[in-house]
Amino acid sequence: MAVSILVVDDSPIARKMLIRSLPPDWDVEITQASNGFEALAAYRAGKVDVMFLDLTMPDMDGYQVLETLRKEDLNCLVIVVSADVQELAQERVKRLGAISFIRKPITSDGLGEVLRQYGIVV
Amino acid sequence: MPDTVPADLLGFIVERIEVGIFAVDRDYRVVLWNRFMATRSQRSAAEVVGRNLFESFPELPRKWLERKIDSVFVLKNYAFTSWEQRPFLFRFHHNRPITGGVDAMRQNCTFLPQKNGNGEVELVCVTVADFTDTAMFQGRLNESIAQLEIEKHGQQVLIEKLENAQNQLMQSEKLAAIGQLAAGVAHEINNPIGFVTSNFGTLKTYAGHLLAIIDAYEGGTASSLEQARHDADLDFLREDLPILIKESQEGLGRVTKIVQDLKDYSRVNDAGRQLADLNAGMESTLNVVWNELKYKAEVVRDLSDIPPVDCIPAQINQVFTNLLINAAQAIPERGKISIRSWLDGDMVCVEVEDTGLGMAEEVRRRIFEPFFTTKPVGKGTGLGLSISYDIVVKKHGGRLEVTSELGKGSCFRICLPREFKGATDPDVRSGL
Amino acid sequence: MTTQEDTDLTEDQRDALQEIANIGMGQAGSSIAKIWGEFVSLSVPRIAHVERCAIPAMLTRLVGDGTVNAVRQAFHGQLRGEVVVAFSGGRGDQLAELMGYDDADSVEEQELLLDVANILVGACLGSVAETLTVDIGFSAPSVMGLDIAPSKLIRPDELMTGRALFLEVRFALEKKSFTSHLIILMPCDEVFVLGSALDKFLTSL
Repeated sequence: MAVSILVVDDSPIARKMLIRSLPPDWDVEITQASNGFEALAAYRAGKVDVMFLDLTMPDMDGYQVLETLRKEDLNCLVIVVSADVQELAQERVKRLGAISFIRKPITSDGLGEVLRQYGIVV
Repeated sequence: MPDTVPADLLGFIVERIEVGIFAVDRDYRVVLWNRFMATRSQRSAAEVVGRNLFESFPELPRKWLERKIDSVFVLKNYAFTSWEQRPFLFRFHHNRPITGGVDAMRQNCTFLPQKNGNGEVELVCVTVADFTDTAMFQGRLNESIAQLEIEKHGQQVLIEKLENAQNQLMQSEKLAAIGQLAAGVAHEINNPIGFVTSNFGTLKTYAGHLLAIIDAYEGGTASSLEQARHDADLDFLREDLPILIKESQEGLGRVTKIVQDLKDYSRVNDAGRQLADLNAGMESTLNVVWNELKYKAEVVRDLSDIPPVDCIPAQINQVFTNLLINAAQAIPERGKISIRSWLDGDMVCVEVEDTGLGMAEEVRRRIFEPFFTTKPVGKGTGLGLSISYDIVVKKHGGRLEVTSELGKGSCFRICLPREFKGATDPDVRSGL
Repeated sequence: MTTQEDTDLTEDQRDALQEIANIGMGQAGSSIAKIWGEFVSLSVPRIAHVERCAIPAMLTRLVGDGTVNAVRQAFHGQLRGEVVVAFSGGRGDQLAELMGYDDADSVEEQELLLDVANILVGACLGSVAETLTVDIGFSAPSVMGLDIAPSKLIRPDELMTGRALFLEVRFALEKKSFTSHLIILMPCDEVFVLGSALDKFLTSL
């Protein structure tokens, strides 16, 4: 069965880069969102199993999305994907409920490794 | 990169270039030490290579340098130091053993990360370049600038002193002028007061006589009445009395007028800027200095209708005083002073012309210079015209010009703009 | 004579540059965090094409009123340009404290500014160069001005004419009120080279 994926990033290039790095044989249904509001809308519409979330976005950033998800009883797997790779940032997002943190630029090996770790890809 | 360049050429360049080059590994062990480093440090490569840098050179700032090198290993980026912040890394002799001027070589250093195939930094390569000459030029330049600043400051102080001295001189000049005028005015007042006083004496006598005649009428005999009338010289008295009274009133009128003129002249209450009628100013000045003029010159007025001028009347009257007195003093025995006024565009002009001795061209050219005077030593300070010039030109934005012919006389012309175009100067308020 | 359309980046190229700069910033931020152990907040990179004469005004607008300490560093190689790093807000001594100087004098504070600027520029631009597979090098940083208004950093009569690419990123240390702006400036003829590199990157996606 296809896995529903939501890719959240204000940069269309970044979204492309991430989608390109997904394992090629993975059965996925991809939705894209360019800011926190769109991301939450997609989540509430029940279309998300795994969310790839950027941190630095204008209007509503990744941290705020995580906080909102937690308040609404987080019901999907969130993997934070960010250029901001400071340890403190990583700690913060883990505390807010993200299962993992991947640094940009993304490599398909790195992404594949994380997915396997969490049993997401068969 | 270096595929096409022969290794021995590269080796030659690294070894012999006039820049220090050395390299250290993660444990700060020296891996390369070129000739520049060897000769300047007086430690050969054989002595230094393979050993810890800080063991070989304990005087290096170890903590700071280790951190600097570490940052290059960790961050994988170039790092730099500049002589301006850090004069040198290694204390080497400079290249000025004779000419001197500096204690040690000034250095700019670069720290380069040398990466292996995995992108890890294996070695940090350091270049040490001699910037002593640049540093010295910079130092000299800074010294010159500092020196100029000091001189500039000294000049500022001097300028202030000179300005103070000038102000003091102007003050004493004003006081001297006032003194001179006061003497003249006192004379103008004393004269009428003199004869009014004398007339009063006569009137007192007359009053006595008249009262005696009335007494005789009221209770005396015919013969005492006749006596009293004779003593009074009644016929003469009748004629003389009205004359005395009229004269005295005229005299008192003159005194009142001269006091009013003085008030107008000095404008004691308004020492500031205002619209003033220059003709009226000239008239009151003439009255005030009349004593100086009356024995020397006939004054001829040719004043047209001029609009009021925005100026400091007290100062302009001071200028008129100066010109009138100069004109009188230029006339040896007896002559004529002509005063004219007219409107020329947006300037109002007033002219004082005399039939005095006149000036030669060399004198005319310098006449407004401070302390320049044609009077013998002890008579006058020579400041009057320079102050007048200052008032008209600097403080009012006008013109003050002079034409003259030796033996014929001189003509001084003031032109003032109707609207104030002068400097706004704290001195402006001082007036008279 | 190139026109505006010729030298400016296309929208796709700008998006790509924005993301690449974002990644580069992340690098720089993590470098600082490694050295200082303090959390750094990073802004979204802002990209603009400006006439060079408008650069002083842009600087003031982005950096704000008040004075800054500024460092200049040039980069060269396949891409060429200059970077201005403007530090505002915090006092030099707070920075010095972070870097382990006790009681830094003003000269040591200057050295500090140069080192920090060098780290930021090296990390950010280094990452951009790596992603685009172009080769660049850096010259030594130098103090551009101390306690100076942003508009006075560049002398307008010395500015060359033409357009330039203006890329600005803001770094802030949350705990100390310390902000630095990294402003990357590239002349219009270099922007063309950058555009080609970006195109190459985009096609590889």
